[in-house]
Amino acid sequence: MDLSELTQAVVNGKRNDAVAGTTAALEAGTEPSTVLDALIAGMEEIGRRWKANEVFVPEVLIAARAMKEAMDVLEPSLIEGGVKPEATMVIGTVKGDLHDIGKNLVAMMWKGANIQVHDAGTNVSPQDFVKAIQESGAKVVGLSALLTTTMPAMKETVEAIRAAGLNDVKIIVGGAPVTQAYADEIGADGYAADAVTAVDKARELIAG
Amino acid sequence: MSERLYYIELAKQGLVMPIGTDLVLQECVDPEAVLNDGEALGKVVADSARRWRSPLAVPLMDLRVEKEALALALGADADAHETYHIDKPVDSQTLTRVMAQITRSPTVRMRATCDGIRYVAGINGLVPIGMCIGPFSFVTKLLADPIMPVFMAGAGSTAEDDPDVALFESVLSLGEKVILAYVQMQIEAGAKAIVVCEPAANIHYLSPKQLEAGADTFERYVMQTNKRLKALLDKHDVDLIFHNCGELTDDMVRRFGELDPAIISLGSSRVLWEDSKLLPDDIVMYGNLPSKRFYSDDAVSPEQVAAMSSELVAKMAEVGRPYILGTECDVLSVKGAEQTIRGKVRVMMGCGAASGCRCAG
Repeated sequence: MDLSELTQAVVNGKRNDAVAGTTAALEAGTEPSTVLDALIAGMEEIGRRWKANEVFVPEVLIAARAMKEAMDVLEPSLIEGGVKPEATMVIGTVKGDLHDIGKNLVAMMWKGANIQVHDAGTNVSPQDFVKAIQESGAKVVGLSALLTTTMPAMKETVEAIRAAGLNDVKIIVGGAPVTQAYADEIGADGYAADAVTAVDKARELIAG
Repeated sequence: MSERLYYIELAKQGLVMPIGTDLVLQECVDPEAVLNDGEALGKVVADSARRWRSPLAVPLMDLRVEKEALALALGADADAHETYHIDKPVDSQTLTRVMAQITRSPTVRMRATCDGIRYVAGINGLVPIGMCIGPFSFVTKLLADPIMPVFMAGAGSTAEDDPDVALFESVLSLGEKVILAYVQMQIEAGAKAIVVCEPAANIHYLSPKQLEAGADTFERYVMQTNKRLKALLDKHDVDLIFHNCGELTDDMVRRFGELDPAIISLGSSRVLWEDSKLLPDDIVMYGNLPSKRFYSDDAVSPEQVAAMSSELVAKMAEVGRPYILGTECDVLSVKGAEQTIRGKVRVMMGCGAASGCRCAG
């Protein structure tokens, strides 16, 4: 089977084609990990196009939806075959902030990069971030804030994570008002200006 | 169009002002209590206008008021309205009940906003201004996933064949009715202009690629709803001040000009003197210093604020556009960065044409 068609189905956000292609590939005996690679390639391509301003958030979301539905079909085979996610990460919007588009985009791009994502939601307290990290065993956490008024909560969350002794957990921050300088100031390990960069940054931090 | 020449004259006089009511509010002993007290809120709005030496009494840019009212009317818990999402289309019976509740028993916040407008209307020399969220931006706050249905509608799906599109269009229609009712209340309270905040009508919610390919979603979901809102304002001789600090395409800016606002306020991602070419000559442009980054001198320094202010004033004069130097959005008070932010607002205030442009830049 030509897996490039499966990759294109994800790129074009054709969820029915992505599901049908995944099913057909598995039925044809293709290794689940190979099918997964084809799907990830689709998300990487959509990420590249986004960064190049060739597509926009809606196209990314539609691609991520196709990826997710294909993954629902693929996941049992991956588990059976012992294929594990690259890493587990926690993501959430900090306390006082209810915005979720940026957070959702990063979560989708991470999932599309074979990362298991624990989405803590919006308006997440520092204590709830700590709890989510401890419960999931995540090695990376993403903190999002859209409002300047909620950025101090980002600093409080970084402090709470460190105070809980989670010194090995890497913290990535992002959101419209956030800058690399602010990330440095509050002691975060990384800053991502957009969801595609968040994938690169997460991989970089995992690799150590 | 009641006071078009008035705004143009203000611009010609070199008015400079932030959208800075929140800065004044946060100086109060109990800001939260002020939000629920019409007279106290009116005083804050009036004090803010005086602080910035402006006759325009701009209210708080709080885009949660309408959602609270709608969520409560739909049965959301009082402490959960901010996270409330509508998950099924609203039937006509519910619509009638919700609208009756909102119009007969406006929320405390709605009443306070209207009482604040009444308070300002009683002060000579101030223009009482109301505020509402734009219909498209409202629906993005009411749905868990507002982007997908807009994209699907742009790809040809209809309410008949896609439940997500049906939900979006149902909630958009409901939201528009709530906004119109709230604006009507503010007009009856004495508002002479209404700031319509439509920040979500941007490239993140509406794909430029899809729009360029011919999708009519911007027209149907953004323009038509805002045109009906403008018609209500026109009916009462109330001016439109249109605000959108989102990332926009040139065509989006041009289309917003078709709403015929007295003033248009755009975000810092736009180059105002270039956008001037996209808009009719009698629209006053406002903005667009990057106030969302005022919290940090690393993100934007006072010297940069001065230089940007100077450039804006000079370039807008060059293109001959009536222009008010200001901020890209409401300047919010950030805990721990209050003085940093206020310092930059002061720098901006010293940079207007009327002040002789004392900037270093």
